[in-house]
Amino acid sequence: MTTLRAFTCDDLFKFNNINLDPLTETYGIPFYLQYLAHWPEYFIVAEAPGGELMGYIMGKAEGSVARDEWHGHVTALSVAPEFRRLGLAAKLMEMLEEISERKGGFFVDLFVRVSNQVAVNMYKQLGYSVYRTVIEYYSASNGEPDEDAYDMRKALSRDTEKKSIIPLPHPVRPEDIE
Amino acid sequence: MAARGHVQDPNDRRLRPIYDYLDNGNNKMAIQQADKLLKKHKDLHCAKVLKAIGLQRTAKQDEAFTLAQEVAVLEPTDDNSLQALTILYREMHRPELVTKLYEAAVRKVPTSEEYHSHLFMAYARVGEYKKMQQAGMALYKIVPKNPYYFWSVMSLVMQAISAQDEKLSQTMFLPLAERMVEKMVKEEKIEAEAEVQLYFMILERLGKYVEALEVVQGPLGEKLTSELQSRENKCMMLYRRLERWAECNALSCKLLLKNPDDWQFYLLYFDSLFHLIDQIENSHSAEGEVHSSISQALSFMEDRIATEEAKESKHLRGPYLARLELIRRLRERSCPEAQQLGEPLELMFQFFVKYGDKPCCITDLKIFLDLLKPDQHVQFINRLMEAVPLGAPGEDGVAFPGDTRALQRHLCVTQLSRSLGQQHALNTQGKLGLIKELKAHYRHGLQFGKSCLKTELQFSDMYCLMAAHVYIDLWLETGDQNMLWQSLGLLEEGLSHSSSNAQLKLLLLLLYCRLGAFEPVVDLYSSLDAKHVQHDTIGYLLTRYAESLGQFAAASQSCNFSLRFFHSNQKDTSEYVIQAYKYGAFEKIPEFIAFRNRLDHSLHFAQVRTERMLLDLFLEADISSPLEESVKLMSLCPEEDDILWDSLRDNRDLTVLVSWNPKDRQLNEEHKQRSLEEDTLWLRLRSLTLRLIGCISALTHHTSRNSEKTTENGVAAKPSSLRSLLSQLENTLNQATQFTEKQLQYPFVGPVPSRLAQALSSGCCQCQLSSLQLPLHLQELEAAGLDESTALQTQISNLFKSLAVQLQDMLEKCKGDPLEVKDSQSTTQHFLLENLVYFVETVCIVLWVSNYCGSVLRPLKSSLQKKKKKKKEASTVTPPVLSAYQEFNSSLQSLLNQALEHIKSQEISLTALKLGALSLEGQTQSEAEETFTKTAMDKVQSSYLRSLQEIGELLKKRADTLKSLKI
Repeated sequence: MTTLRAFTCDDLFKFNNINLDPLTETYGIPFYLQYLAHWPEYFIVAEAPGGELMGYIMGKAEGSVARDEWHGHVTALSVAPEFRRLGLAAKLMEMLEEISERKGGFFVDLFVRVSNQVAVNMYKQLGYSVYRTVIEYYSASNGEPDEDAYDMRKALSRDTEKKSIIPLPHPVRPEDIE
Repeated sequence: MAARGHVQDPNDRRLRPIYDYLDNGNNKMAIQQADKLLKKHKDLHCAKVLKAIGLQRTAKQDEAFTLAQEVAVLEPTDDNSLQALTILYREMHRPELVTKLYEAAVRKVPTSEEYHSHLFMAYARVGEYKKMQQAGMALYKIVPKNPYYFWSVMSLVMQAISAQDEKLSQTMFLPLAERMVEKMVKEEKIEAEAEVQLYFMILERLGKYVEALEVVQGPLGEKLTSELQSRENKCMMLYRRLERWAECNALSCKLLLKNPDDWQFYLLYFDSLFHLIDQIENSHSAEGEVHSSISQALSFMEDRIATEEAKESKHLRGPYLARLELIRRLRERSCPEAQQLGEPLELMFQFFVKYGDKPCCITDLKIFLDLLKPDQHVQFINRLMEAVPLGAPGEDGVAFPGDTRALQRHLCVTQLSRSLGQQHALNTQGKLGLIKELKAHYRHGLQFGKSCLKTELQFSDMYCLMAAHVYIDLWLETGDQNMLWQSLGLLEEGLSHSSSNAQLKLLLLLLYCRLGAFEPVVDLYSSLDAKHVQHDTIGYLLTRYAESLGQFAAASQSCNFSLRFFHSNQKDTSEYVIQAYKYGAFEKIPEFIAFRNRLDHSLHFAQVRTERMLLDLFLEADISSPLEESVKLMSLCPEEDDILWDSLRDNRDLTVLVSWNPKDRQLNEEHKQRSLEEDTLWLRLRSLTLRLIGCISALTHHTSRNSEKTTENGVAAKPSSLRSLLSQLENTLNQATQFTEKQLQYPFVGPVPSRLAQALSSGCCQCQLSSLQLPLHLQELEAAGLDESTALQTQISNLFKSLAVQLQDMLEKCKGDPLEVKDSQSTTQHFLLENLVYFVETVCIVLWVSNYCGSVLRPLKSSLQKKKKKKKEASTVTPPVLSAYQEFNSSLQSLLNQALEHIKSQEISLTALKLGALSLEGQTQSEAEETFTKTAMDKVQSSYLRSLQEIGELLKKRADTLKSLKI
């Protein structure tokens, strides 16, 4: 039971119930505005009947078409604690995938903390697989050590042979990814 | 730094090291390198600009500006200089200078696409819409690319949006924009989706919905592909505007069949249905089947539900909740058909059976609770409770759930029961029993979350939170402060098991603030990791209390967090307006501008701006540097009001704390309105006080300067603002008094009350006003001289005396123990701390005023002495005003001594207070609970001590400045 609509600037004043979660980053205004200016269709929010924001997804399209690397990217996906276990994240991912399909992307990718087992499992259920590990992708905060990320991918219909998701044999460093 | 042209250019090679130094933040070396280069190549203008950037970044703004202007007057046309100047001007917050720069450049190189495009962007940065329109067209004439043409069109739309005169928008700007687009349509030159979007925007703003619909449904509409359901959403909006209910209905049916969980389309379906029922004529639609009778709607809803029921898994909640919504709407119209859909109690029960184990069940059902009759409430809760699988009751009679799903169900019933007011209806014993039960459930549920990560919440956290709420209910009802201590203890316990739970932190934070203990709040708030826009939405939790509790260092810091965010907003947002032009996200342009305004006009921004300046003055002025210098440093101008009172925006998130209160105790629009009014009144008082301090500073400065120039007439020019500001302050104070007399109460987890009520009751507002009025009379005296002013002198003397009395009264209101232990119960009187802060703030103002008075009286006294010498009179009569002033200063001295002694003794007794030894017997707390409660008490104690220390330190510094007041 959800209203799915485009994220607007005014939603930034209402998303505390989602963003006060420890794994959800609150970015500076420029970051959100950049996405809204460049990829507004990729920034979708779910609203409950009572007006509370339930969750949102923020993404973009990037990569070289010539090298078959044009793809959709999930930058942020977060659902407020009280609206979890409803399949909302899956719904939002499905929408992002559909937009990426329409744009002719080869795949969709995302980064996730290796420790965030809940998220990793969810993405696996949605058809994503680990393409590579990125060493120390998440920089340290609050005295915790740097953390590795999984770069997870799911092939879209344009990648008929699913070449884009063949796992790399070795982990890479953040400076080696585009 | 941006692209720097071709690598082959030898100048690029020469400049490279300077760029590198600047990029690496090595500004000194950049300046040196630029100087070196300029010795050899005098005409390398860019080196000068780069040097200016270095200077700007090392706080040598004036030098930087002069140097930059040397280059700018030459009207450079090389990329390097232009780009460097653009960066410099942006860092100087002078974006208007960039427009001048490129205006000159396009004049010299009229065919440059690049410079024209930079000029357009430069205008965009400062919002010069008309010039943007022209620049866009000029660009299109040089290079006929569609985006340039549409930049120009969009600039017309922006002129329409920003025009004061709506008529001008509707009759000139928008029609012109429309014609410009039509021209392209006719010539079949429309290329991009963005262009269609813009066309749509124009037609929509013109109210030409039929035409807009034709665009969306026609061939141009086929370009609308990026956003999902873009065409459908646009059609739907237009159908509504056009009141084409048949289309609206048919389309929402169609969309609901596709996604039976999308709430917005149920609402539209119902809206259109009832409109159609009220219309008599038959309805048809090209969109498909239209439902125009209740029976059709009933069967549509039944079908949706049957479809869900037939699914094996993943039932959607939408159809079930929509059925309840339809019942509500049918009842509102007194339609007997409502009954055909079923009894709400039964339907809600069924919903609970399906979704009770989801955390959102409470949120879903809460909005339909008013469908139940009050006499059904008990039955409803009992019915649900029967459907919760619990084990056998233990010794204490509490039955526990066996897994997390059962726990969630039980929790949901408990939440619903609170929402129905059942918890509030309990008497004290009942509430204590309920707390006991909730705590038992909380602790029992912890076993399910043993393997939870640190970043996850415990399954049973909400029990803990709810028990804390019931404690607060008890405290509010009975005034028994033990309830508050236990609530704090419980929340501390909860946090120790679930360190990421923001709700536990927020409530703790609020309770500590309400208890006057700011110290623990700093850590709690920082562990929320609130950043950026959150400084605006929840920053009030921090800034409201820090200063009023005398934690000045923390107060400065919290204001700074917020101010840094607000200041970066203006610059940042403009860049993205430009990006939106580049990417053709035209609909985002007005959105970004509205967003920037919303932040610029934020109530919180105005509050922190004002408080930060006041705080700086209270802490520094006449201590580390003279008042006048501090005022100058913050460019405080008493004549100017920097707050746009009519456009203030309340961006606070007042629902960030969870509450399950029944409707009549929930936050409502009136509370929000009142709270905004209250905060605005307080802000007005503070802002006027600040500006009046600015006046005093200007007067003092003026008087002391005049006294040096003995040749001049000793009369100071009156800043006319003093009188007007004083009368504004007086008026606002009257309004504020009237406001507080209404004694409004907000829900506990709603908006926090402002400092207004406490400030008024401490007497500080009146006392500050009295002291700020003194200069008016002193000015009169200055004009009249000492000889012919007996009545005036008596008046002033009386004012001094009355001021001393008022201050003494204020000090009396500070006396008492902020933390008291009696009969093994500890109670707080934190308002004593707040009163102390008001006392200190008032002392600061009185001392500044007194300093001004001294500056007026000193020359009068010395000229009197000269006269005496001349006439060789041996008269010993001191003019009454001079002795009154001296008396006033000595009473200030004794007041400050008293205050300092009081603070000292409070510090000693507070340090000696051993709360740890406090026996909390008879309060039915377990040993473990006691530990947490005592931890909370210790935090409060330590915080009070720190407040006293900071207040004492400031007061001591102020006392030291008394000497300088002698005349």
